[in-house]
Amino acid sequence: MSTYVYGIAASSHPALPEDMGGVGDPARQVRVLKEGGLAAIVSDAPEGLRPKRNDLLAHQNVLSEAGAGGAVLPMRFGSVAPDDEAVTGVLAERADHYLERLKALDGRVEYNIKATHNEEAVLHRVMAESPEIRAFTEANRQAGGGTYEDRLRLGEMVAAAVQNLEAEDAAVVRRELEPAAEAATVGPESTGWIANVSFLVDRGTAEAFLAAVEEVRTGHPELELRVNGPLPPYSFVEPGPSEPAETGQRLEAG
Amino acid sequence: MTVVPAQQSGGGGGSSGLYDVLELVLDRGLVIDAFVRVSLVGIEILKIDVRVVVASVDTYLRFAEACNRLDLEAGPRKSPGLPDIVGEITESGARGKSKGALSGAADTISDAFKQAREEGEAEPRRARKTTASRRKEEE
Repeated sequence: MSTYVYGIAASSHPALPEDMGGVGDPARQVRVLKEGGLAAIVSDAPEGLRPKRNDLLAHQNVLSEAGAGGAVLPMRFGSVAPDDEAVTGVLAERADHYLERLKALDGRVEYNIKATHNEEAVLHRVMAESPEIRAFTEANRQAGGGTYEDRLRLGEMVAAAVQNLEAEDAAVVRRELEPAAEAATVGPESTGWIANVSFLVDRGTAEAFLAAVEEVRTGHPELELRVNGPLPPYSFVEPGPSEPAETGQRLEAG
Repeated sequence: MTVVPAQQSGGGGGSSGLYDVLELVLDRGLVIDAFVRVSLVGIEILKIDVRVVVASVDTYLRFAEACNRLDLEAGPRKSPGLPDIVGEITESGARGKSKGALSGAADTISDAFKQAREEGEAEPRRARKTTASRRKEEE
């Protein structure tokens, strides 16, 4: 029976999640495997596991639960070990590294900020800042909307200006929030937002961080910020030590 | 502010904010090379650069139209219609990109995103989105 791994915590973690539902349908029960000073939060791995919504949600929920009680190194979704022994084997082998990371992340959480633009506010800014676009728009308007080519050209100019503003405002988000956090890292780019930045924040200063978010909102009405957190520090776990070298190949058998 | 629920509520609920953290769950977090990872074929669909979507004829025409209508006398204000517009760009962009190259897994994941986004973002749009995901399933 292969083993699904949610995350790694110290075995002294005061509230390791057990008896809650994990991935799979029906949900596999979450268990804890201890080895030395470390504990792995696991469950049986369902056959044919795929990144379905409920499974992603289960992964995130287990880690939220664990993260609420103490430091945890969240695994990326979908990590499956051949069996429990393989998990404890990894814990034993890389104990120093994981203990160091747990210590470094103790008391810290991730806040992920996604920024989008309020389009109307952005267009206002584009028009206000570019006499050229303003004039072009006015000309089109007087020509009853303008020809297809005119509209295309205007739209292209506007799109370029909007893109510039997006880049500018993406930098603003990071620059203005970074001082309120311990670390920052840019998240994967995707559709739907202009900035996606994760911040590592001490639980004790989370209020100050959220206040900084409010300030950005107030100072930049064209920016809409979505705050997600506190989260387990997905973006700050770092990969294992000397990945490709020793440990990697030797254990690859499964 | 959205706080990810610490506990899953029954009946598939409790996904508020899931869409916003999915890419962290899938693309960040600890990777241990001794463990196998579930196949995430099609996950590239998440990584389409938003700027690619902006640079399209549809977008140009839409911008031109929006500028045409923009009332410069009124100051910048919150537009209640915006989230809809953004949603549409995002979706049509993702659909365009994904055509042809998609495997079943990609459908699964994009549907997961879509579902999560629906629930996390805009309740009233559910009906329309459902049509979109149905169309997708035909592939």
